[in-house]
Amino acid sequence: MAIGGITAAGVRSGARRRLAALLAPGLFWLIAFFAIPLVVVLAYSFAVPGPTGRIEWRFTLENYQRLFGETLYVSAYVRSLWVGLLTTVICLVMGYPLALFTVRQPPAWRAVLLFLILIPFWTNFLVRTYAWMVILSNNGIINATIQALGFPRQILYPGEGAVLIGLVYGQLPFMVLPLVAALDRFDFTLMEAAADLGASRRRAFWRIMLPLTAPGIAAGSVLVFIPTVGQFVVSDLLGGAKVDFLGNLLQRLFTRSNPPNWPLGSAMAVMFMLVLTVAIIAYFRATAEERR
Amino acid sequence: MARRAPEAGGLLLRLHTGATLLFLYAPIVVLVVFSFTSDSFGVRWTGFTLRWYQRLFSDERLIGATLNTLLVATVATLIATVIGTMLAFAMERYRFRGRTGLEALLYVPIVIPEIVMALALLGFFALAFGLIDAWFGVRPVMGLATVIIAHVAFTVSFVVVVVRTSLKNFDVRLEEAAADLGADAWQTFRRITLPLIMPGIIGGALLGFTLSLDDFIITFFTTGPGTSLLPVEVYGQVKRAITPKINALSTLMLVASITLVFLSQFIQWRGRRSS
Amino acid sequence: MEQLSRYILIVASLMLLAACGGSTPTTPTTAPSSDAPAADGVDRERLAQELRVYNWTDYIDPALLDAFEQAYGVRVIVDNYDANEDMIAKVRAGGSGYDIVVPSDYAVETMWRDGLLQEINRAWLPNLGNLDPTLLDKYFDPGNRYSVPYMYGITGIAYQRSAFPDGITSWAVLFDPAQLERVRGQVSMLDDERETPGSALRFLGHSLNATDAAAIAEATALLQAQREYLAAYNSSDVNRKLASGEYLLAHAWSGQALQARNGLGDEFEGNPDIAFVIPNEGGAIWMDNMAILKDSPNAYTAHVFIDFLMRPELAAQNAGYIGYLTPNAAAIELLPETIRALYAEGFAPDEQVKQRLEWMVRDEQSTVFTELWTAVKGQ
Repeated sequence: MAIGGITAAGVRSGARRRLAALLAPGLFWLIAFFAIPLVVVLAYSFAVPGPTGRIEWRFTLENYQRLFGETLYVSAYVRSLWVGLLTTVICLVMGYPLALFTVRQPPAWRAVLLFLILIPFWTNFLVRTYAWMVILSNNGIINATIQALGFPRQILYPGEGAVLIGLVYGQLPFMVLPLVAALDRFDFTLMEAAADLGASRRRAFWRIMLPLTAPGIAAGSVLVFIPTVGQFVVSDLLGGAKVDFLGNLLQRLFTRSNPPNWPLGSAMAVMFMLVLTVAIIAYFRATAEERR
Repeated sequence: MARRAPEAGGLLLRLHTGATLLFLYAPIVVLVVFSFTSDSFGVRWTGFTLRWYQRLFSDERLIGATLNTLLVATVATLIATVIGTMLAFAMERYRFRGRTGLEALLYVPIVIPEIVMALALLGFFALAFGLIDAWFGVRPVMGLATVIIAHVAFTVSFVVVVVRTSLKNFDVRLEEAAADLGADAWQTFRRITLPLIMPGIIGGALLGFTLSLDDFIITFFTTGPGTSLLPVEVYGQVKRAITPKINALSTLMLVASITLVFLSQFIQWRGRRSS
Repeated sequence: MEQLSRYILIVASLMLLAACGGSTPTTPTTAPSSDAPAADGVDRERLAQELRVYNWTDYIDPALLDAFEQAYGVRVIVDNYDANEDMIAKVRAGGSGYDIVVPSDYAVETMWRDGLLQEINRAWLPNLGNLDPTLLDKYFDPGNRYSVPYMYGITGIAYQRSAFPDGITSWAVLFDPAQLERVRGQVSMLDDERETPGSALRFLGHSLNATDAAAIAEATALLQAQREYLAAYNSSDVNRKLASGEYLLAHAWSGQALQARNGLGDEFEGNPDIAFVIPNEGGAIWMDNMAILKDSPNAYTAHVFIDFLMRPELAAQNAGYIGYLTPNAAAIELLPETIRALYAEGFAPDEQVKQRLEWMVRDEQSTVFTELWTAVKGQ
């Protein structure tokens, strides 16, 4: 990757002007609404919380020391990352065949199918989560069926299973959309060519289709993984708020504790972003390399 | 289009798709059914009623909030899609100083915890409005405009991620061929590039729209007096009780969006047939 | 198609510009002048056209807003929040645009210490005398310089009488594993880092403000052992889940219990089986208060509105709607007979119960509760 300097592609001044025009609005938006706030959050993370929750501007490293020193915070990290990973894998396994089916339909049907996948997500998230509570509750549809079949009632909600269902349900389209975009550009005749050359369908899938659609997998995984790691509403509603995830800790430190502790929350957020950004960029590089 | 395999998908693929759609629609069916239940808890079937629809139509606040939410989502998505597509092009087609830095900055809106972003934006707007007040003597107040700005800010990156996926798998030779045939840069973009990456752009836009519709935390902290949005209203209701009135609202929105989708498909189909 | 999308973009950007440029009509504009000084002593010339109230969700009878507009021609806009800290964060940033907020006890102190509130002008509040003097002049606002009590409540146990025919007298029902076993998965505690440890501390014989290491360690262990029996930590729709029978037993605010018993407007029906008790070991008392923001340009109108809500008949109507307890002594006897009967039954504290109630104080030591709560939920 070209880090410094303008390489051959961008020497002509026309191209440079175009580049500037392409970058300007997005760059303005990103700097105004992210870069500046980011610096503020970074500054907060080295400050001290006042007795009323107001920031006191004295430099300290204590927030970071607490973050790494207390096992409670570390274990919330690990728990959140694990649930994020699990959700991402399930979404990928469910989403890939769905995206594949979608792109292989005639154009008109493809659009309809895409909308069918998305429409459930245009009803409010909390309302959908409530509907899952109804389905999974002790007197809900699933338990009624189980009991009608003569089995004892299962406690499905609140619990970890319910949380996982809720997370996968909420994140699936974020996996499917990038996969559709990637598969749409995939040349399916390559699969026939592979078959002609004697490769099994499975081998063709693993060696050709998967690597060539890796950018879609990477994008989808990131879009599913990140929000899942930072979530707290699903685990509160479907899990009964009994276990802390990273999102809960952040929410508590910023706006639920009295007094709130913005500096510690900021330190936590900074670490969270740092780890994830590095991981994402590494991940994208890896999936990009694979194709060469 | 000739590149697509002739078969529409094997039996397994069909079964999987059917099962996944069932999973996606199970809670939707439940909420639609319970918008007609006479049980005020909305969790049991105790008989048919249209009471909740009547209540909904007399709830001006909820209807206003719904319209605000649709407006915000539409405008924010339009702006974010344009800006995001431009950024995606810059990132995929050019090498320039600071590209890696921009790459990292692009992921900030995705990795930043929502509560942090919400409070940062709140502080930013308060500061900016303070300055405007000092310079011009008028103090703006947060409202729809600030919510739209905030929503654009966090949806842009999602658009970029999806559009870049399309650009990555793009066969550049098609553009070169167009250029060889005498097309200028704009023509090549309009006639060749744009149609080919359209699925990516539409996907990114739909993603942004979906995110914007549902966002609660950032919306809460960037809205102002008298400007109510649906996620904030619903979140407040959770504190008390989600009534079947909300189910009724969701059902109507569902019917509207399905109608819209099929209508647009129908119009396209007619258009194709007549031409 | 191209033209259309360009048109949409232009319209959208224009709208954005217009919305950004639109400033607020915060300058106090006079309402249509009627025949000067009215009988109620309100100077209509000084009223603003609009008043912006930032309040807890569903915490005022909307009919009262219409009544106020009818009486004074002032439109009242109400927006909602669900945590003091959310509201304070928004106010502290500056220029929130609101006139009146409704902070809870400790939050009043935070806000006036940080210079976010303006002083109350008693001359503009003739109805202040209606309030119960025992609820004035509390620790968070000595002399009520910045706040006026709005609603208060107590924290105890709500339960289904059919499941506990002998009644409940001790927190042990929520903390003793032997007793919990019977209601496993059908019991909830408030999701609150002060209320829930507070109940554990009272059960253990401490003050709910105890912050010494031994008491905190004891309470932490108790709550950790309790967790597996709970359906959830829930402070939001406890009312509904009690009413529907999903919970047999819940750590709850009195108002939630009253709503579960009595129903909530036309939203859900009440459950006559619900009872509420402050256990013998004691419980918590808290209060939400009206206060005027320092940067509010409509202080006079805000006072008129606060005074309006303190009229006995309106305070009674409001309390009947919300379900929490009114600090307005003159309003109590105007409450519907059904509600007064429930008060007598335990949904409001009598003199004897009041002795067992404690205010939750926030100070420099309070951060131990954040850590305790993180420890309970982080196992």
